[in-house]
Amino acid sequence: MEQKKYWQSFGELNNSAAHQKNVQDEFKEDLPFEGLDVQGATTPRRDFLKYVGFSTAAAAIAASCETPVKKAIPFINRPADVIPGVAEYYATTYIAGGDAIPVIAKVRDGRPIKLEGNELASWTKGGTTAQVQSSVLELYDTARVRFPFADKKEVTTFEAFDKMVAGALSGLGGAPVVILSSTINSPSGRQVISEFLAKYPGSRHVQYDGVSYSGMLQANEATYGKRAIPDYQFGNAKVIVSLGADFLGTWLSPVEFQRGYTKGRKIDPANPSMSKHFQFESMLSMTGANADERFTHKPSETAAVAAGLLAAVNGQAVTNLKSDKLKKGIETVAKELAANKGAALVVSGSNDVNVQILVNAINEAVGANGTTVSWGTTNLTRAGIDSDMATFVNELNAGSIGAVIVIDANPAYNYYDAKKFTDGLKKTKVTIALTEKNDETTQLCKYHLPTHNFLESWGDAEPKSGFISLVQPTIAPLFKTRQWQESLLKWSGNTSSFAEYHKNFWTARLGGSDTFLKALQDGVIEAGTATTGTAAFNSAPVVAAVAAAVPAAVKTGVSGKSADVEVLLYQKVSVGDGRHANNPWLQEMPDPITRETWDNYVMMSPALGKALFGIDLDDAKQSDTYEAFPVKPSVTLKAGAQTITLPILLIPGMEENTVAIALGYGRAAEVGKAAANVGQNAFPLATFNGTTVLLQTAGQVTEAAVGAPHKIATTQTHSSYEGRHEVIKEITLNSYKKNPHQIIEARAKELEPWGGLEHYEKDGTIYPVFDKPGIKWGMSIDMNSCYGCGACVVACTAENNVAVVGKPEVLRAHDMHWLRIDRYFTGDIKDPESIQTVFQPMLCQHCDNAPCENVCPVAATNHSSEGLNQMTYNRCIGTRYCANNCPYKVRRFNWADYTGADSFKHNQDELNDVVLMMNDDLTRMVLNPDVTVRSRGVIEKCSFCVQRLQDGKLKAKKANRPLTDSDVKTACQQACAADAIVFGNVNNSQSEVSRTRKENELRLFYSLEQIHVMPNVNYLAKVRNTDRLNAAHGHEEAAPAAAEGAEHGAHH
Amino acid sequence: MASLRYESQVRNPLVTGTKDYHQITEDIVRPIESKASTLWKIGFAISLLFLGFGVYSVYREVTYGIGEWNLNKTIGWGWDITNFVWWVGIGHAGTLISAILLLFRQGWRTGVNRAAEAMTIFAVMCAGQFPIFHMGRVWMAFFVLPYPNTRGPLWVNFNSPLLWDVFAISTYFTVSLLFWYCGLLPDLATIRDRAKEKWRKHMYGVLAFGWTGSTKHWQRHEALSLVLAGLSTPLVLSVHTIVSFDFATSVIPGWHTTIFPPYFVAGAIFSGFAMVQTLLIITRKVLALEDYITMEHIEVMNKVIVLTGSIVGIAYITELFISWYGQNPYEAAAFKNRWDLSTPYGWSYWLMMSCNVIAPQFFWFRKLRRNLLFTFFMSIIVNVGMWFERFVIIVTSIYRDYIPSSWSTYYAPTIWEVGFYMGTFGLFFTCYFLFSKFFPVIAIAEIKHILKKNGESFKDNMEKEESESVEAFANEYAHH
Repeated sequence: MEQKKYWQSFGELNNSAAHQKNVQDEFKEDLPFEGLDVQGATTPRRDFLKYVGFSTAAAAIAASCETPVKKAIPFINRPADVIPGVAEYYATTYIAGGDAIPVIAKVRDGRPIKLEGNELASWTKGGTTAQVQSSVLELYDTARVRFPFADKKEVTTFEAFDKMVAGALSGLGGAPVVILSSTINSPSGRQVISEFLAKYPGSRHVQYDGVSYSGMLQANEATYGKRAIPDYQFGNAKVIVSLGADFLGTWLSPVEFQRGYTKGRKIDPANPSMSKHFQFESMLSMTGANADERFTHKPSETAAVAAGLLAAVNGQAVTNLKSDKLKKGIETVAKELAANKGAALVVSGSNDVNVQILVNAINEAVGANGTTVSWGTTNLTRAGIDSDMATFVNELNAGSIGAVIVIDANPAYNYYDAKKFTDGLKKTKVTIALTEKNDETTQLCKYHLPTHNFLESWGDAEPKSGFISLVQPTIAPLFKTRQWQESLLKWSGNTSSFAEYHKNFWTARLGGSDTFLKALQDGVIEAGTATTGTAAFNSAPVVAAVAAAVPAAVKTGVSGKSADVEVLLYQKVSVGDGRHANNPWLQEMPDPITRETWDNYVMMSPALGKALFGIDLDDAKQSDTYEAFPVKPSVTLKAGAQTITLPILLIPGMEENTVAIALGYGRAAEVGKAAANVGQNAFPLATFNGTTVLLQTAGQVTEAAVGAPHKIATTQTHSSYEGRHEVIKEITLNSYKKNPHQIIEARAKELEPWGGLEHYEKDGTIYPVFDKPGIKWGMSIDMNSCYGCGACVVACTAENNVAVVGKPEVLRAHDMHWLRIDRYFTGDIKDPESIQTVFQPMLCQHCDNAPCENVCPVAATNHSSEGLNQMTYNRCIGTRYCANNCPYKVRRFNWADYTGADSFKHNQDELNDVVLMMNDDLTRMVLNPDVTVRSRGVIEKCSFCVQRLQDGKLKAKKANRPLTDSDVKTACQQACAADAIVFGNVNNSQSEVSRTRKENELRLFYSLEQIHVMPNVNYLAKVRNTDRLNAAHGHEEAAPAAAEGAEHGAHH
Repeated sequence: MASLRYESQVRNPLVTGTKDYHQITEDIVRPIESKASTLWKIGFAISLLFLGFGVYSVYREVTYGIGEWNLNKTIGWGWDITNFVWWVGIGHAGTLISAILLLFRQGWRTGVNRAAEAMTIFAVMCAGQFPIFHMGRVWMAFFVLPYPNTRGPLWVNFNSPLLWDVFAISTYFTVSLLFWYCGLLPDLATIRDRAKEKWRKHMYGVLAFGWTGSTKHWQRHEALSLVLAGLSTPLVLSVHTIVSFDFATSVIPGWHTTIFPPYFVAGAIFSGFAMVQTLLIITRKVLALEDYITMEHIEVMNKVIVLTGSIVGIAYITELFISWYGQNPYEAAAFKNRWDLSTPYGWSYWLMMSCNVIAPQFFWFRKLRRNLLFTFFMSIIVNVGMWFERFVIIVTSIYRDYIPSSWSTYYAPTIWEVGFYMGTFGLFFTCYFLFSKFFPVIAIAEIKHILKKNGESFKDNMEKEESESVEAFANEYAHH
């Protein structure tokens, strides 16, 4: 067979030389690795390694795209002093505007989760407020700005931002720079500011406070020659007269004042005496609710009241006041003041310079200067002067300001004439905001470099002259933020970090780094004890002030469907001036007086409510209807050019024709989900009298035109205790002095059918009584020093991971607070002066015979050997039988999946935005890992902070010593600035709670003692330093009659 | 004028219409063997709709939480437990009829006992839904069962009245079901024997447990019936007594009352009989069973209603009296919150009073007792009243109890809360419709015991002499 030849190319066919070469060489080109000899290689080993490295990295990156992101970051390189699960404590300072409270931050696994008062600070002694307690949540606020912005665009590096700012500031052409801030009492901060200003000649620092104390500062300048606020010593005063100052709640330094005030309110069982507190005011404030005697007047009469008091103190006639009641009241008060010269104190909440001058004159006349009003130290929490701000705003509008740097100030929201301010700001070339959030003013600024939260910052504060509290970071900054001090340092050409600057500043002042470290550890630096100094009084301005103290003719009264009223603006103890509006803990904290959450509203006297809306609270049926339904009528208030529409709440104790509206609401949506759409901004209603901004005006209220009915979420609807003296016991001081045994006698009478006080435990039951050996936890609450401020409520929320449920759920009475402060009114609803208020903190009473325990079918709630009534969440099936059978109604049920702890998909779909915000991964960082987050469908309630009790017992055990009082403190106890709560082991006769119970045996009572549940929480009866007690039925009468007859007053 | 033949005046016959044994079987089995009527289909469809709505309402509640209902921190129980007690109460009439009346040899019970027992079972099934689904974590409901476990073992809390409920209700349901089913056996066998289709024969064959009708079967059947009747009798009293303990053992004024056990039992029988009336008045009409469920039955049951209604009335008044006489201010306040019409729930108390105490007094009149329409109307009124009784006890006691600060806002149900209740109506009627289609609504075997076969048609077939009076006969005889 012929060999057939197949060929692929002509070369192969012809078998050319080129083809032969090709066949021999397998590869046509050189391999890249040819010539692997060291030098002169075309592909060196280094390149090879590069390729290998690149492909490995690329493969790794590509592969890791599929890896789930794990959010828990372990301590791989664990710092030597950090033990996972063991809390670290750092002394720092709560800073909010001029407010500065020394605190200890509890840091768990790198996260600050709870703030406690710093007990080393002599002026607060560990006291806190609701705002302080809640501020830790603001660190994890989801609405915080997370990186710098310029022209609403992200700036990726601080260097780029600094460059932009430097460029902008250098192009001002000599126009001045103004730093606009809230009161800054930080010594290092002030130095940073002055160093910065020195670089820009003609520049200045304007301090501006949303709620200003300018009137006081200026009055003191006029009469004492010092633009300063003295140190008020409430503790030294036997007679306290407050002209509308809410000094226990929101005025200046409430923690310090509560401390002082409490000194005069605690009853020494051996020698009962009390300070006497008079309050003149137009609305019912929290402080007013604690007063022994209250007098109401119109806001326009404030100066006349002060002048009247001055006249009366000087033995002259009271003029210019129409109301005889008021005149008589002033005369009584003047007598008391005169009788207590040197131990009397008058304070006023007015921002009117004249009023404050008159108050100074009164204080001078009653010998307060140097005794209760001390000039030895001054209060530095507020420094803003209204006229300075007004001048600045005018300059802005004139276009003469080159640049504005805003630090923690928000005039676009809280300036009385915000429009003028914003117009002016728009005319300014360079606007820089060094604020935490994208608030109303920040939104108008060109540049925004977010500053740290105080828990991420270095710093210091000097709330009182000579009393320093240091700030140190407790967590690395969560976002790309830089504290404002550092920014100013950078922009003034200082290259050191603020941490370094701060260290050097204090090391130099304290004379060594060891002293600095010690101060940092302690948190506070005190020059010594506060000295009571005097100041020379210049009486010249008083004459003019008296002459000016004629009440303006403000028309008030009802005409048809509208009424002419005077309007008073006030701060709530919760959100204050609006700074804390996006804090759900505060928004959900019930207001001490109205018991309302998540709103502002028009507080109105029942008389005005009756005239305008026909709601007669004296009529049982109408008052029931008013209570039962959360829908309240709305009014439109016209004041000057301003119109505002808000729902009303009828509050006894309001001056008849005065309405009051809380500030701090109606914030911009950017401030956060909790602040958005809540209430209306009342700041535009404030008025400027040429010198200072007054939080009062006059206007007309009319029933609002139809619209969506407005619901108000109150946590307590019924306000009378219905003469139930088994629940609340109160007594007057004189009556108590006359017969100190009244309370215990009343108790004995209540228990008489069941063996009396002695044998009640045994004879009140058919069951055997058991021994209770070992520890038995107990609590004592002094109703005399509970002012209703709610610090304990928020402390409890923070400590125990109590869920926020949002307004829609509060409306349905689904609030989850473990601790609430019940507020009751007594008195004639038509007579504001007759109203007496009582606050009763109510929490699980940890009954020995707990009725909740025996009804649970699955034994999910049971008794510990230490007397605790405890909840086993994972055993609870949610029958709610325990809650029904709780006489104190302190058990709370998880109606929905508030915490995200439930495993059902999409079951949070119907919940409020705020609940979801609280369930954000960022916000959840605030949760206390020691406390179970409860799931839907289980009951929860106060545990006496059992996690703290365990911790305290372990501490004692490790140290091999018996448990002492200081080992355990409940969160509520620790937060209270008035020490109203005492807690401990009642089986130890030496414990504080045992001693308190023993010493105050005559005032002690248990709420609802007669039903034999044997509570472990006792109360000490409230003593009023007055002759009048509204409770229509005294203890002398038979208890049944007392409880049967509902009081006619305060139905509401 | 005396008749020649002596006529005994005992009582009216229990079955009217001159039936014979075969006719009874035909009458009662007819609905089972014929096709479903349009009326039945419509009724069944509506019941299914209600049931579906109920299922969706419960689905929402289980998914989103009890917050789907308008209960709150003060009012922990509302419609849920009200409906529970209401349904349990309704069940009681069936047990009373089947057990106590059997022991007392009340022949008339045979006309109504089957339907009443079925009602009991369905009502208890409905009642059971509420305590189960009122739990916040229903998936953990098995915790209420005392079973050996590895958690310690961790036992249930035997002190809790809710646990007693678990035992009481489950026992009650079991005994009632057995009693009912045991009575059904001979009837199921009858249907089996008459069946023409294979599936029917098979199905009823299985259900009849091989009943042959032998004397031994009958003897055992009778004995078992008596034993179960004996077991059920104390249950009539105990179940609602224990339900009342849920409230009576608590500390809440208005709940903490020793009168509750008898008061609850009387109320249960009261509402149960009303429900029996509602059902049977419809059933006898729709299934043409007027001859078996006669006016006599209706009247007798109306008498029970007026009796128990009055007992309940006395209980209400006693409660009020004690709240004053007892001098406990908290109890006095709790009751003032009921009787005082100006309080938010005052209306519900007076609605209860008028429905339960005042309205039944009309049954003192024989004419009204025998008026079908009026009886039907009253039976609804009574059950509305009894629902409100439970609502008043539960809600008006807890909405304002000891601490005035916690006095609650007005409680009105959400659509899902109402939906759950409607759903149990759906469940109840779905079951009842199925029952009436597939089971004999009257006990065929038992009713034959009470048939006076020879007495009723005798008069019609009398011979001349028999129908004559003594005088006529004597006259005739004398002139013969």
